[in-house]
Amino acid sequence: MELIEKQLNNGINLYIDTTDKFKTVTINLYIHNQLGKEATKYALLPAVLKRGTSSIKTYKEMVKFLENLYGTTMAVSVYKKGERHLQQYRLELPQEEYIQENILERGVKFLKDLIFNPFTEGNAFNKEYVLQEKEIHKNLIDSRINDKTRYAVDRCYEEMCKGEPFAIFELGRSEDLNFIDEVNLYHYYQNCINTLPIDIYVVGDVEPKYVEEVFAKYFSFKREQILNIPSPNVHKEVREIKYVTENLEVTQGKLTLGFRTNVPANSKEYFPLLVYSGILGGGPFSKLFMNVREKASLAYYAYSRLERFKGLMVVSCGIEIENYNKALDIILKQLKEIEEGNISDYELDSTIKALKTSLNAMKDNATSKSDYYLSQKIAGADLNIEEFIKKVEKVTKEDVVEVAKKVKLDTVYFMTGKREE
Amino acid sequence: MQKLYNERIDEKILLQELDNGLKVYIMPKRGYTKQFAIFATHFGSNDSKFIAPGDIDVTEVPDGVAHFLEHKMFEEKEGSIFEQFSKLGASANAYTNFTTTAYLFASTENFYENLKLLVKFVQNPYFTDENVEKEKGIIAQEIRMYQDDPNWRVYFNALEALYHVHPVRKDIAGTIESISQINKEILYKCYYTFYHPENMVLFVVGDIDIDKTLDVIKENVRQDKKQGEIERIYPKEPSSVYKKEVVQDMQVSIPLFNLGFKDTDVGFGGKKLLKKNLEIQIGLEMALGRSSDLYERLYNEGFIDSTFSFDYGGEIDYGYSIIGGQSKDPFKVRDIILNAINNLQFLKEEDFERIKKKYIGKFLRTFNSVDSIAYSFINFYMKEINLLDYLDLLYSISFEDVRERFQNHLREENSVLSVVNPIKK
Repeated sequence: MELIEKQLNNGINLYIDTTDKFKTVTINLYIHNQLGKEATKYALLPAVLKRGTSSIKTYKEMVKFLENLYGTTMAVSVYKKGERHLQQYRLELPQEEYIQENILERGVKFLKDLIFNPFTEGNAFNKEYVLQEKEIHKNLIDSRINDKTRYAVDRCYEEMCKGEPFAIFELGRSEDLNFIDEVNLYHYYQNCINTLPIDIYVVGDVEPKYVEEVFAKYFSFKREQILNIPSPNVHKEVREIKYVTENLEVTQGKLTLGFRTNVPANSKEYFPLLVYSGILGGGPFSKLFMNVREKASLAYYAYSRLERFKGLMVVSCGIEIENYNKALDIILKQLKEIEEGNISDYELDSTIKALKTSLNAMKDNATSKSDYYLSQKIAGADLNIEEFIKKVEKVTKEDVVEVAKKVKLDTVYFMTGKREE
Repeated sequence: MQKLYNERIDEKILLQELDNGLKVYIMPKRGYTKQFAIFATHFGSNDSKFIAPGDIDVTEVPDGVAHFLEHKMFEEKEGSIFEQFSKLGASANAYTNFTTTAYLFASTENFYENLKLLVKFVQNPYFTDENVEKEKGIIAQEIRMYQDDPNWRVYFNALEALYHVHPVRKDIAGTIESISQINKEILYKCYYTFYHPENMVLFVVGDIDIDKTLDVIKENVRQDKKQGEIERIYPKEPSSVYKKEVVQDMQVSIPLFNLGFKDTDVGFGGKKLLKKNLEIQIGLEMALGRSSDLYERLYNEGFIDSTFSFDYGGEIDYGYSIIGGQSKDPFKVRDIILNAINNLQFLKEEDFERIKKKYIGKFLRTFNSVDSIAYSFINFYMKEINLLDYLDLLYSISFEDVRERFQNHLREENSVLSVVNPIKK
């Protein structure tokens, strides 16, 4: 089934994917922005919007409204793909036939009001809402240290990309919050909704014409010149490898290595790179799993993962603190093995098959599908899942060895315990 | 084959019990790309003391043995099972919780070969002194990872406070000390006790051929005779809580808390347990959900944030509710909640129908994914509950049921507070 595309002529694009396998209709609305100095404001906005609309003035009433729509779920999040800062608003509505009621239009109107008709007072957001959300936002930023596994990866990237927009944390910086109030946030918000690109994906058992009509009814308002977001710079020469150690109250060390792949998101080399990362640490067939975990018993988890849009790769594992050198040596040896072409048929085939399985499996999840389309669009590519799989299947060992030469170690980050003093 | 069908959601599951006692459930799901199978045994971290069928003596094994066994099942004489699944393009995995060990795969091709592999490898243990020793380093790192995870710690500290002696208070993976005592003899003893087909269940879901699936299973399953009951020995748990408060310092930015309530009306499974589960969950949702007055108050006064959540976990022989999140003042949160729910008029009938609707939508969403269907099915199965009964039971619950259950379960004397505080400089 091909994706139906409909432009609303105001920088809002609607995409419809009809399938009858789900019991719900899923709407994902993404707002794109450049990751930059306004990141904190941008990240705070959805939390403030969630507090109330012009017609439903409190969060509590909003939730009641959704509960009455048979527990339609609303999920709002902020994250980054490369140096693109994204807000995601998701609604999942039960399919008509199971509840004997058509609730799609009510859901769409709600989504419109949530983002475009917020609860305001004069030319500003509600003061109290902004104050409360600022405090909570600060706590959420600070509490990222609680999840050590993820924190280690974020910190590695931050150290590695110091001075580049990618180093900005997706929720922004807590010190910026002091300068945000209900007035300047509202001005910033108006600028956002008037100029930022918006993509909406609808997945479910729907009649495309009807969906187009409903969205045209609520989302066809006039907007200003739409911002063009450039692709980030992915090329960077590493002059000297950075070594960073962070001492925390932990019992396990987290060793994280950051790499520059020098491969842009829409390059044809992206497919060999994907296979490269899979052979290195993409599953139980990979070199990291086999050598760091199974052979040396050093870790429970050891993997590699790409950040496609900024051209980065990270390797991460949790180890006994004193095993730092041992683990680092084994990891670096695996990279060298690939570069020298020591890749077995089993490693190559298993990687390609695993990628194929996970790509195919996206078809069974409405939000994964939306995210796939979105990523394709951001990368500047236009492949459906089948075409993407074909590209992956064509990758040869030689391609992998070739792309391996471009991958350069940039930063070694180690989270370790506090020294005894 | 027996057919379980639910008209409201138009889903069916086929059941066949094999001669050796294994129960096989097959659920066709047209149009899905992914196939999913789980082969599970009713053996979890709680089962550390038992009398095996045919034995007279009690066997007591170190904590963490069910989880350790799960890790070791992936190794065979010929090599790693992961390797064989990888060659077939499937992604295999396993998990252990308090009551269950489950092996699973997700595939998008070679389904029948993958199924055959799953059935065979779970029935083929291969433990040596060497491969058991090797695993200790890996599991030690898994244990350390959880030790450094404040959300995990605050949860298990709450369970330790709720229970005096029940094994649910112990970490699923055991401790580095307890796993050091595990050897291949212990693993084989547990394996032959708990991995008998009679103690197991196989659930398969996807766009698959029912007869062919059943044939593959029948051809590859062991033709053992039924072995009889395993006697599981759980210590007698008092109805009181063990400790009212437990506090640990960790590297966190803001305190985390779990407010736990011990369920004392336990000892049954099936529809009765499902009904209890739903009554408590609906009650919690009415009391503390995002549309409640109490949530609004706690949020607006800055005591909780969007990480706030709650859940009830009810098994046959125990159950508890956990309300958790991060807060600048967990003790105050506890006091506000306990104070509010003390009021008998606290739950309002006007909220009841709306929350019920929400649960209908939530249940429907389960059927959007073969993974979540499979996980839910197994989870319910171990409680003697049929997943397809859910909706009818939900419709049958009344406001009075919820109110009575809520008042009996959420009592101050049944509550404990677990807090993880930031380390003081």
